[in-house]
Amino acid sequence: MLIDRDHAWAERYGVINVPTTIWVDEDDRIVRPPAIAPGDDKFIEFVGFSAEPHHAALRAWVRDGVAPMADAEIRARRSAPDARLQEARAERRLAMHLLRAGATDLGHAHLDRALALAPDDWTIQRGSLPVRGKDPFGQDFFDFYQRWEAAGRPGYEG
Amino acid sequence: MTTVTVVADGTVHAVSGAVRDDAVWLRSDAVPTVTGWSLKPEGLCRDDVCIPRAALGADAIAGSGADEAVELRALAGALQRAVAVEPAAALAVLADAPADLAGSIVEGRAPAFTLPDLDGAPVALADFAGRKKLLFAWSSW
Repeated sequence: MLIDRDHAWAERYGVINVPTTIWVDEDDRIVRPPAIAPGDDKFIEFVGFSAEPHHAALRAWVRDGVAPMADAEIRARRSAPDARLQEARAERRLAMHLLRAGATDLGHAHLDRALALAPDDWTIQRGSLPVRGKDPFGQDFFDFYQRWEAAGRPGYEG
Repeated sequence: MTTVTVVADGTVHAVSGAVRDDAVWLRSDAVPTVTGWSLKPEGLCRDDVCIPRAALGADAIAGSGADEAVELRALAGALQRAVAVEPAAALAVLADAPADLAGSIVEGRAPAFTLPDLDGAPVALADFAGRKKLLFAWSSW
């Protein structure tokens, strides 16, 4: 278990929600780009699909070398990072440095900028709720969830 | 000149610079430390590639010799990197270069990374070279 405190890994791999899996082969090629992949069906009502097809594909890949996706599908899912999202990530990272240093007002001002720049990024929106004194399972989260769902679940790929 | 702090590529750099007119400036000799690029007479350079000084903007470079400094937002813009700046704390964060990210993601290569485990020991993707890897991200919220 590794800790990505500054979201550096998430940024590098284009992860904007969890639980997300990425499959990497023996030659360090990404054979399954970032995708939502729950470990079980506990939250299937929210996730919208069962975990079992993912598990079956994973077993086939590990045991028999069955590629989970065609190259064309992998290419279709690749995209260069969005400049606005990159700015949001920089603002979030700056905010966290300021908050850890005790510069509360400055930190929250930069966090607000990050939130405005990345309205659909769960790692920034939901991830910031605790440092904003809000419950990540509370009404603020469900308000965000409803906005995100009404917008068509942007960035959500299973 | 004073000390300014710039976070880039996972490292916190305390380097020589200044805060002027609500902007953070880096002394030129700090630019390689923070960005991997060098400010030379011909431009902002790395290996065989140089970005002309004009790309930084007319007011983005001040002073000369050992006192030469470059404004950080202009520097980041020339390198196509997002930046967040807080002059009141003499602190800034540079995002990863989109071109470097795109090089990995668009070409389908898994970007290298090193992260601490729960005991603080560094773990790298390269530690698992030659094996299939399932990277699974979740959050404690």
